[in-house]
Amino acid sequence: MTTSQPLSPPPRRAGRWARTPKAPYLFILPYLLIFATFWAWPIVSSFLMSFKDSRLGADAPYALSNWSRLIEDEFFRTALRNTMVILVVQVPLMLSLATVLAVALNSKLLKAAGWFRFAFFAPLVVGTVAYSAVFRLLFNTDFGVVNRALTGIGLPAVDWLNQSGPAMSVIIMAMTWRWTGYNAIILLAGLQGISEDVYEAASIDGATPAQQFWKITLPLLRPTLLFCMVLSVIGTLQLFTEPALITNSGPGNATMTLGTYLYQQGFRSFNFGYASAIAYTVAAIAAVFSLIQLRLFGRER
Amino acid sequence: MKKLVLSLSALLLAGSAAAQDLSGTITVWSWDAAAKALESTIPSFNKKYPNVKVKVEDLGNQNVYDRGLAGCAAGGQDMPDVYSIENNEAEVFWARFPNCFVDLNTKGADKLVKDFPAFKWTELMAGNKRYAMPWDSGPVVMFYRRDLYQQAGVNPDSIKTWDDFIAAGKKVNAKFGNNVKLATIANGQDDEWFRMLANQNGCFYFDNAAKAVTVNQPGCVTALNTIKKLYDAQVVTTGDWGGQITNIKAGKTASAMFGAWYEGTIRTNAPDQKGKWGVYLMPASKAGGVRASNLGGSALAIPSSSKNQAAAYAFLEHALATAGGQVTMLKSQGLVPSLLSATKDPYVKTAQPYWGNQPVWQTILGTLGDVPQARGTQYFQDARQIMIVVQADYIKGRYKTAKEALDDAAKKISSATGLPVAK
Repeated sequence: MTTSQPLSPPPRRAGRWARTPKAPYLFILPYLLIFATFWAWPIVSSFLMSFKDSRLGADAPYALSNWSRLIEDEFFRTALRNTMVILVVQVPLMLSLATVLAVALNSKLLKAAGWFRFAFFAPLVVGTVAYSAVFRLLFNTDFGVVNRALTGIGLPAVDWLNQSGPAMSVIIMAMTWRWTGYNAIILLAGLQGISEDVYEAASIDGATPAQQFWKITLPLLRPTLLFCMVLSVIGTLQLFTEPALITNSGPGNATMTLGTYLYQQGFRSFNFGYASAIAYTVAAIAAVFSLIQLRLFGRER
Repeated sequence: MKKLVLSLSALLLAGSAAAQDLSGTITVWSWDAAAKALESTIPSFNKKYPNVKVKVEDLGNQNVYDRGLAGCAAGGQDMPDVYSIENNEAEVFWARFPNCFVDLNTKGADKLVKDFPAFKWTELMAGNKRYAMPWDSGPVVMFYRRDLYQQAGVNPDSIKTWDDFIAAGKKVNAKFGNNVKLATIANGQDDEWFRMLANQNGCFYFDNAAKAVTVNQPGCVTALNTIKKLYDAQVVTTGDWGGQITNIKAGKTASAMFGAWYEGTIRTNAPDQKGKWGVYLMPASKAGGVRASNLGGSALAIPSSSKNQAAAYAFLEHALATAGGQVTMLKSQGLVPSLLSATKDPYVKTAQPYWGNQPVWQTILGTLGDVPQARGTQYFQDARQIMIVVQADYIKGRYKTAKEALDDAAKKISSATGLPVAK
């Protein structure tokens, strides 16, 4: 019985540190240094900056002026409201479309499935600047093809980019065009993870295709849908390209989002302190939203 | 005597040798017509300085501003040797980045003070440092289509006030069945018309000391009221910078109001409309009122990070501080000189074929003396963003009166900048 022999007691102090291999830490050290310099430090630095009036120069005293301005800033509220409108209208619209599309792409009845998958994913490959310019042209009041089509079938032309409601709908259409295929491909992957057996059993039990969709597909797709939703919500909160390039946040502030307002404050007015305060607010909102979604939809059965 | 001759010739040699000595490449950042104008001065510059290669990069207006700010914030990274800067926006740079640009006094600009009108320098200086050299100015005029006015039975000489202008617009509407408007106004995208009209009425976002917000003063109220009247009478349409040009090309607008630098924009964008255009003074708010204003106007600065400051300054001096350079730019792109000697150049009096043989430069430069002072300050962009929205909201009917709209604008500008609203 070798086990009866008591082991010599471990040395008291040298303990864990001495026994831990150090090589791994040395190997990741370069990354940690880069992370600290280019990620961690800017995050801390911009938090500190949010307490300074950066327009007065680097020596400005610390104060709460940016945060108090944020509370009473009507433009910030407009940006927040616009972002929420897009969040509430565009994200559900896009995800429902993407789900329908994913089911269609997954269907065995579909010929040339690969080609369709590519076609719906293609908008994402187009450069944002190029596609924004194309949307500007499509929705041009006097020369755009959309208004030509509308007047062609006897409907009145819409001044798309110079009126607040239509401008917002252009943004929503543009984003839906660009991102639906992307989400559909992710959902398609989710669909393909669902076992065929489940559907087979359901058919034997006499479930209709509609019943199968609501009772089997959707519940089993929930984790994938949740993933898409969290990504879309965070993406929308950071939304910048479309309103900046298609409508220039206009007309007035009708399509100004948190992203374009942050840019305006940071890089037009060059008020980095205030832009930092906005950025921190956006990050906080994103965190809260993700948490709510995980709580509501993420529980495992 | 021999010694004197020797030293004199040595001096002369040194002088021309200095011009020969300057060498290398200098990069210039500018935009649109202004970039082309600078390019047109290169041949004469290279006669004096054959070894300096000038590279003008047209980045577009907003991009020059954005990249300049980013470059200055990064301590002078990725900056050109010569930087174009709009007067209105200049103070942001001097206020936030006092070391980003060379004090041109150290290069000899203090000797040129009297060559330019005093108002052109105010926004280009901070303390006693002179950060940029005045380039063009933007006296506002009304450009109009002779043929369209004639067809509608409008005589431009009879348009003296904004009410006359509206009456003319109604004639144009009647003639062309609303297919031609009198002008395109940027609403919701910019507030240029408000700024032109406010300046005309002796008002601007801020007072000239840059100490208070004055956007709700009577002159500005009149300005905003006039814009609303133009919309209510349906004599104008809406469009941004690109939309305005498209409308001009398509013959959908019979006139355009802008700083005189727009002459080049119309001429180069619509070359086929040669001879059809003319110019008259901007209408006054009331009979006998001021018919002049200024929009824009730019300057050139040298970033401190430039490796070739001597050549850059030589370029500035040649293009801006000589009548030859300024008139070259006036000829090629219609950039209105602010150099006093250039405004007296014989070219100013010559008839311009594109403009129906009207000597337009005489008309335009004749208004310079009537332009009321205005100052952008370092908060220009904040105020502008707010005013764009307030103007659009007022046109839409969100405020009852122009005064109410501008009181709100003043409150917002004050809270954004920390400057008090003037009593």
